Order: sequence, then C-alpha cells, then structure tokens
Amino acid sequence: MTFRPTEHHSGRRILATLLFLLAPAAAAGTDGFSAGELERIASHGPWPTEWMRDPGNRVSANAAAIHLGHRLFFEPRLSANGRVACATCHDPARGFQDGRATARGLADGTRNTPGLFDVRHQRWFGWDGGHDNLWSASLRPILDQREMGGSATRSAALLRGSAALACHYRQAFGKAPKATDPDLLVNVAKAIASWQETLASPPTAFDRFRDALERKDDAAAATYPAAARRGLKIFLGRGQCSTCHAGPLFTNGEFGDIGVPFFIKPAGVDPGRQGGIKRLLASPYNLLGAHNDDATKGNATGTRYLRPEHRNFGEFKVPTLRNLTLTAPYMHNGSLATLRDVVRHYSELDEDRLHTDGERILKPLNLSEAESADLVAFLESLSPEAAPPTPVEPPGVAACR
Amino acid sequence: MNKSRRRRHGVSVSGMLAALALVATAGVANAACPPNDDDGTVINKGDLLLAFKPLLKADSVSKAQRIPMARHFALDVQLCDRGGVSGAQLTKADASMPAHKHGMNYRPTIKPLGDGRFRVDGMMFHMAGRWQLAFEVQAGKEITRLTHDVQAD
Ligand code: HEC
Ligand code: HEC
Repeated sequence: MTFRPTEHHSGRRILATLLFLLAPAAAAGTDGFSAGELERIASHGPWPTEWMRDPGNRVSANAAAIHLGHRLFFEPRLSANGRVACATCHDPARGFQDGRATARGLADGTRNTPGLFDVRHQRWFGWDGGHDNLWSASLRPILDQREMGGSATRSAALLRGSAALACHYRQAFGKAPKATDPDLLVNVAKAIASWQETLASPPTAFDRFRDALERKDDAAAATYPAAARRGLKIFLGRGQCSTCHAGPLFTNGEFGDIGVPFFIKPAGVDPGRQGGIKRLLASPYNLLGAHNDDATKGNATGTRYLRPEHRNFGEFKVPTLRNLTLTAPYMHNGSLATLRDVVRHYSELDEDRLHTDGERILKPLNLSEAESADLVAFLESLSPEAAPPTPVEPPGVAACR
Repeated sequence: MNKSRRRRHGVSVSGMLAALALVATAGVANAACPPNDDDGTVINKGDLLLAFKPLLKADSVSKAQRIPMARHFALDVQLCDRGGVSGAQLTKADASMPAHKHGMNYRPTIKPLGDGRFRVDGMMFHMAGRWQLAFEVQAGKEITRLTHDVQAD
C-alpha cells in the first residue's frame, strides 16, 4: 500500500507509460490478473509481516514477562468472583474469542469479543479504538464491572501473595512487586500484553498464492482454488473491499460505518468511534500519559494528532480479515452469524442505514449466488487450514516454584 | 505586501544563522529556490512555488516519494517565489478524499523551520484512492490556496 505523488517528471512518466503498455503482456503469465490487481495482491503480504517490539511497554518481547503474562491471562483470581479470566472470553481454542454474539463476564456486555491473533499489529484497540496501546486494552477488562470487576488492590495482592507469580514478576521487572497497587496493575497489564504479542497466525493458502505470484511460480499459484481466485477479483475490484481491508492484516487500522445497526437492546445506542475517542483522551493509560515507557513519546503520533469528526458517531474499527473461520459471529455486535451473512450484508446493503456521513464507497453489490460463494471462499482462504498453533513460550527463563 | 527576501546570493547574517540552526536541528539539506528534484513535487500558483516532500519514519521502506498507505508521515514543505525564498507563511496543510467526501482522521501541525521551510506532522492517508493535498499560504493579508492530487493505493 503506497501512495505516489502524481508524476511531474517526464522521464518517469514515460517509464510509467511503458510499464502500463507492457501490463497486458505480463498478465498472460500471471493468472489473468491485471498489473494493477497484481500490485494490490502483493500489498496484502508478505505474511508474517514485519513487527517491532512496543517501545511503550518496557517488558515487550521480554521472555520472563511473556511467561508471567501467559499465567496471568489464564488467572481467574484477577476477577471479583475469582471465576473470570481473560481466557474465559478469549478462548485459545477459538482464535482467542468466545463464539458468542456479545461477551458475557460478570454481566452481559454489548460488544462482540475480538480474536487476539496478530493483535500486536494494531494501532487502535477495541471496536471503538478506545485504547492506543495493547497494555491499556489489557487493563480495561480487569477493571470493567461487566467483565472481570477486578481492581488494582486485588491484582497487586495476587502478585504479592503468590510466590510463583512474585518470582516471575521479579524476573520480568528486575525487582520484587513492591510498587504501589496502581503501578503494579499497569505492570500486570504490560506483562499480559507481552504474552499477547506472541499470538501470531501462520501463513494461509492466500499467502502462499500471493508469494507464488511474486515469484512467478505458476505451478505453485495453480494450487489456489478457482473459487477463491474469483472471490479475490471481486474483493479487489467491484467490491472495493481492499479500500478499507488493506495491507497484510486486511485492515487500514482505522474506522468506518458500513451500516451495521448501532442500537443496543433494550434501549440505547453504541456511539462507536465517537465514544472511543472520548474514552481514549480521558484515559490516564493513553500514550500521552505517564505510563508510556517511550520517553520520546514518538509512539503517540496517532493520539496526539487525532481529529474528532461528526462522522465518528457509529463508526467502528475495520477488523482484520485473517482467522475469520475461527472467530464467528461477526461485526462489533456479533449480529452476523456466518461469512455468508457478511457477504449478503455487503451485497444487499441498505443505503438508508448508512448515515449521511457514511462512506460513499459502499453500494449494494447485488452479487449472484455463485459470486457470493466465491467471495466467501476467498475470505476463508485468509484463515489457517489446520488448528492454530499453540503459543510457545520463549526458552531461557529460570523455573519459579 | 511583497516580503520576499533574496537570500540565495546575498546572504544576510540572520539568514546564515537560520541556515545554521536548520542544519543543526532538522538535519535536512537546505532547499534551493527555485526548488529542484530533491525538494520533491513542485506546485505553483502565480509567482508562488511550493515544493513538498514526504518524510518517512526509518522503519518504512522509502522508495523515492513512496509513502505506505495508512501510516503516519510528515511533509517537508519549501515556499519560494520567483525571486527566491518566500517570506510567506504556510498556515494550513491538510488532505481529503473528494470522492468519499471525507478528510483525514488526524489534524496535522505545522512547524516553521526558517527560510520558507516548514515541517508538517501528523498526516495519514487511511484509505486507498485519490487524495487531494491542500495548502494555505499567507503573505501579508493575502491567502493563497494550492491543491495537488495524489493517488494512494
Ligand atoms: C467478558 C469477556 C471478556 C473478558 C473476560 C476479557 N475480554 Fe478482552 N475483549 C472483550 C470484548 C467484548 C472486547 C471488545 C471491547 C470493546 O470494543 O471495547 C475485548 C477487547 C480486547 C482487546 C482489544 C482487541 C482488539 O482487536 O481491538 C484486547 C487486547 C483484549 N480484549 C485483551 C483482554 C485481556 C488481556 C483480558 C484479561 C485481562 C481480557 N481481554 C478479558 C471481552 C473480554
Ligand atoms: C468503508 C470501509 C469498508 C469497506 C469498503 C469494506 N469493509 Fe468490511 N468492514 C468494515 C468495518 C468498519 C467493519 C466492522 C463494522 C461493524 O462492526 O460495525 C467491517 C467488517 C467486516 C467483516 C467482519 C469481520 C469480523 O471479524 O467481524 C468482514 C468479513 C468484512 N468486513 C468483509 C468485507 C468485504 C468482503 C468487503 C467488500 C465486499 C468489505 N468488507 C468492504 C469496513 C469496510
């Protein structure tokens, strides 16, 4: 995904024209995709894509913190009733999701639980982007009354009271868990974040196809099913899906309104991104605050330059399209049960539901049955074929008893 | 009204200091007026020339002039007029997608670096398609608006 300033230099323009003229010839050996389509396909990879440790989290990529975070992720004692852990909703067997339309912890929530594979690549966290970093998104559910209903005091007491957890804490942070309760809570969240950073999904059938096209390896490319290939064409072309679902993660990391209702039963609305921006800017745990371990605050660009707009009302985060076969149901409110339903949503889009500020890109696609099936086949090719890998812990951490 | 100073040949002391400060702080090569290829894309309105160049974080691939979509970037802007460096100020830098009737999700800031040079921070093209860059330049009471289309894909 790149942008090019319009060319002014005649030399470059001639080159561009030449490339354009050559394109049809090149397309012959590349599966009937045009040069433009091939460029777009390439932009959805490579996978895994480059990742750098989080400068805002001093224990990011720290082996001992990953060990500690792993234990805390499965630790129900962080919750008020001692029965709800992160893994209660983020189930490793379901792509770290719960299969429910909306989450249920201590009480019922109003939003769908997102899967956590590849979460380290995101810019905004939560359907409304109410968090600008992974550790504050991990701290939120501990305190949320409907999710775990925990507290800084409870989290700190757990760390101090368990010899094994205290030992892992010492290994990760270099000192005993003696800081204040609120500071310990932040460190609990940072350790859990460092473990979640290891949740990476493997390459898929689509990734192998994409790489084969890059290498011009026709034999390898030929193993990609014809239906997925036709679905990919719709995705890039008529569907304009890649306008928002861009790049290796199939999301531009920003927000949109695609006409999913934002009413909450029995009464109320989910303001989406508009509420998310308010929440973010009010949070002591955002990257402009004191808990950001990046002294330069160079990682706070997104938050610093945020521009709230009217249209943010009812916008939700553009989700990744990787691992979808593991994470049904879909959308911020879990209102669509299957990928077939999602494709029908885009195909029969109710334009009246897009509020006036809605994206002008979206029009009902009126796909035939066969085209819908193709688009579903393509979406399925973005998920791993086999059971997702069990997360591995890095070696080299001394045992704690 | 015309505040343009000719610094390219007759260099004033303050100009030299500004140039030194620029080299010391920004570490970018000083632009020439009129701009050349190194200053990026050049657009103009009347006598006013505006050269802009995207600045990328070290972590992103920087093929000349290419900016990864959906990532933050900065712009280096140089204002010139026919006589040399322009005394005008860059007062606004923004971008929008005319076809989708929306702008950026971020509000950029402008920092004057001296000698008609400005740094715009906080830009991001979050969607594929045609974006229109819009600049406002103020000289005295006169405001000049310059636009330029770029394709993000
Ligand atoms: C009651 C179910 C529940 C529990 C328990 C829970 N979560 Fe979540 N999680 C959710 C829901 C629902 C969301 C979406 C929240 C929103 O949009 O504001 C979410 C969002 C997230 C996100 C943002 C993901 C993204 O793609 O934007 C992260 C990270 C996360 N949870 C981590 C955790 C961690 C770590 C814990 C334990 C400390 C935890 N969750 C406990 C339901 C739960
Ligand atoms: C204008 C930007 C935009 C375009 C274009 C777009 N999407 Fe989406 N997509 C979104 C947003 C935003 C959501 C989440 C909406 C919500 O939850 O309310 C979403 C949700 C989804 C989901 C559900 C994923 C999940 O985990 O819940 C799928 C699947 C999907 N889109 C596929 C597509 C396909 C296929 C196309 C092309 C036909 C497409 N999208 C076009 C923005 C877009």
